[in-house]
Amino acid sequence: MKDRIDLHIPAKAEYLHLVRLTLFGIASDIGYSFEQIEDMKVAIGEACNNVILHAYRDKEPGILKIQFGIDDQGLNIHIKDEGISFNYESMINKSTNVHEDSLSDISIGGLGIYMMQALMDEVEVRNYHGTEIILTKRLRGS
Amino acid sequence: MKVMRFNMDFQENNKEYVFFLSGELDLSVAPQLRLALEPIVNKTDKPMIINLKDLTYIDSTGIGIIISVLKLRREIKSSFVVREVPESIKRLFDLTGISGFLCDGTENPV
Repeated sequence: MKDRIDLHIPAKAEYLHLVRLTLFGIASDIGYSFEQIEDMKVAIGEACNNVILHAYRDKEPGILKIQFGIDDQGLNIHIKDEGISFNYESMINKSTNVHEDSLSDISIGGLGIYMMQALMDEVEVRNYHGTEIILTKRLRGS
Repeated sequence: MKVMRFNMDFQENNKEYVFFLSGELDLSVAPQLRLALEPIVNKTDKPMIINLKDLTYIDSTGIGIIISVLKLRREIKSSFVVREVPESIKRLFDLTGISGFLCDGTENPV
């Protein structure tokens, strides 16, 4: 059985809390643990931050579209924009955490990508008329 | 009624400067946090403390601010302490590797 729940918000930081709230509602219904939900809230926040900060640069804030896909494996979350394509390939090389040598040149954008990857089971990025980030977390066995 | 999802409380005594951060620290409030920390970050007369006991959410922008403060305080050879980190926030600090750089003031790593 598959269901989809959509949330469309302006790509503005003031609406990020609504994304977390909706995620919380859906994920608790499905039966994720508190810790899994906390992880997903951060990961979805990072994906949305990328849209808000980069997708509509120099233009009017556009739309941030979030699709929550529910199936028997768990949740897959699609975060879409219609702005400047997010060059994932170049960013993935900057995916980074903080370790002894890097405090001086830590890339904060890289930290966000790193966190998405560490907190979710899968992170997929598609570029076409904008960017789509797909975050997946399996209910069991992650 | 407008709900404040994030709050900063600044206290100063003759020992230290303390910022109590509570609620959710995300992209929407990061600029206001930076603005509030700015006048204190450069002060070398007393240690600077951030107390996170009532913080319920942080993202990479918040962690980025902590890293910036850390670097700046190191440069001016002044003390920076992060206190009472909740378990869920500590998990993120551990995950990102920032834990190794933070002290809780008792000479133990966070």
